[in-house]
Amino acid sequence: MDLMFYIVSAVITIAVVMGVVLLHVAYITYFERKILGDMQDRMGPMEVGYHGLLQPIADGLKLFFKEDIIPSGANKIIFTAAPILVLVPALIGFAVIPFGRDSLTIGPFTFNPIITDINIGILYILAFASLGAYGVLLGGWASNSKYALLGGLRSAAQVISYELPLGLALVGPILLSESLSMVKMTEAQSGGALKWFILVQPIPFFIYVISAIAETNRLPFDLPEAESELVAGFFTEYSGMRFAFFFLAEYANMILTSCIATVVFLGGWHAPHPALEFIPPILWFLAKVYCFLFFYIWIRATLPRLRFDQLMGFCWKILLPVGLANILITSIVVYWLRS
Amino acid sequence: MKSRFSRMVDAVLFSEILKGLVLTFRHIFVRSITDTYPHQKRTLPPGYRGVIVHLRYDDGTEKCVGCALCEAACPSHCITVVSAEDPVLPQRRIAAKYTLDVTKCVFCGFCVQACPVDALASSPEYEMATWNKRDLVMDKKAMLQLGDRYFPKRQKRPPYTEERFALFNKLKTSTFPAAHKIAV
Repeated sequence: MDLMFYIVSAVITIAVVMGVVLLHVAYITYFERKILGDMQDRMGPMEVGYHGLLQPIADGLKLFFKEDIIPSGANKIIFTAAPILVLVPALIGFAVIPFGRDSLTIGPFTFNPIITDINIGILYILAFASLGAYGVLLGGWASNSKYALLGGLRSAAQVISYELPLGLALVGPILLSESLSMVKMTEAQSGGALKWFILVQPIPFFIYVISAIAETNRLPFDLPEAESELVAGFFTEYSGMRFAFFFLAEYANMILTSCIATVVFLGGWHAPHPALEFIPPILWFLAKVYCFLFFYIWIRATLPRLRFDQLMGFCWKILLPVGLANILITSIVVYWLRS
Repeated sequence: MKSRFSRMVDAVLFSEILKGLVLTFRHIFVRSITDTYPHQKRTLPPGYRGVIVHLRYDDGTEKCVGCALCEAACPSHCITVVSAEDPVLPQRRIAAKYTLDVTKCVFCGFCVQACPVDALASSPEYEMATWNKRDLVMDKKAMLQLGDRYFPKRQKRPPYTEERFALFNKLKTSTFPAAHKIAV
């Protein structure tokens, strides 16, 4: 009986988390268009609903009802599978993100603010994030179009390269918290903003931010979908719902990387000062995630696209050595402090 | 020229990118320069050249005398005039048929300048979207309607027309006593 209650509450938690995440994914497009508009002295969506608030729903309906075209030269099975291969790794990472502190108990059901706390949480997310590159590469290849193929190749090269500094940047906080579990990492940063890892590990934070932008193929690192050269990159041939899947995956990845940054560097759901603990932890978490998402959009509005050799050179010649040096120094300091 | 050291510091601290970020952030607070078009229309400058319309005199007669100078002046050949004598008023010519193809019109206003009786004018009308593009080939009636809407203040009809008719009537009665007379 207990097992049944456990399963039911787990399923409800998963449904709620997925629903909330997808809603945020839909509304992050609105958020982005509004902020980009403001930064470029225009208004962004204004027509559907009050100040365009229903625009994401209208867009979703439009994409849902659009004709789904599969090019005649495409490899049908891989072409159909690729969007799912991109979307699933993007959504599955949310399973180990601790959104808050308190569990909610209603009758026999207990709802935790995290789907599952596995002890290798961050490794799990990184592993699935690398799987996303397969979807992009296969989608680009299966489209049987030169632009899609080039976009897919670029994306694969970029994602694989930037995964290294991304992982290396996360090693510092892992050393400090002595755990790979997201919950333990959050707990290690309790007790005000001074305990957050961003203060002890500022350089890895910057490496993480840069690599996260590159990982999610966002401007200024959006070479896989560079409009001026590659039409739309790896999803040139996609339309309708499959196109929407790629879009959802991109924005879900944005939110996921923001969540990781929040948990690993910005203290997760902890308030910046113990006196501010009365505000629900989930609101602190959301605020931090949205600050990070705002930075994503802000940098998009500011910087032009990099050249491909600059992108690769920056990763291999700067981020990687700096990340390695940071691991070395952090390990020595941690070892020296603990012994 | 900055020193080598300060350039290195700039590169490490991404100071150029920070400058850019500050600039874009400041623009959040700049008022948007967009008009939300269908709800908020821009105020047109006084000399705006929209669709060409026909005008009337204050008593409601058309100004156009069917001289076809507008047709000659039109650089895109969008005006067609068929001139004829007025069936009611002989000696007075009118345009029996006048078509303006708005799909071809370049809104240059040369026809307005060419018109000897100021019968044409550029209206501020610019919302000409339609379901059927044949609606955009306007005849004189449609142009007069538009003219009535945008130019309610009409010019007084000059008296020489009546004087001409009076002279005509006088000549006719003296030469051909049985002829039809023009009502003035």
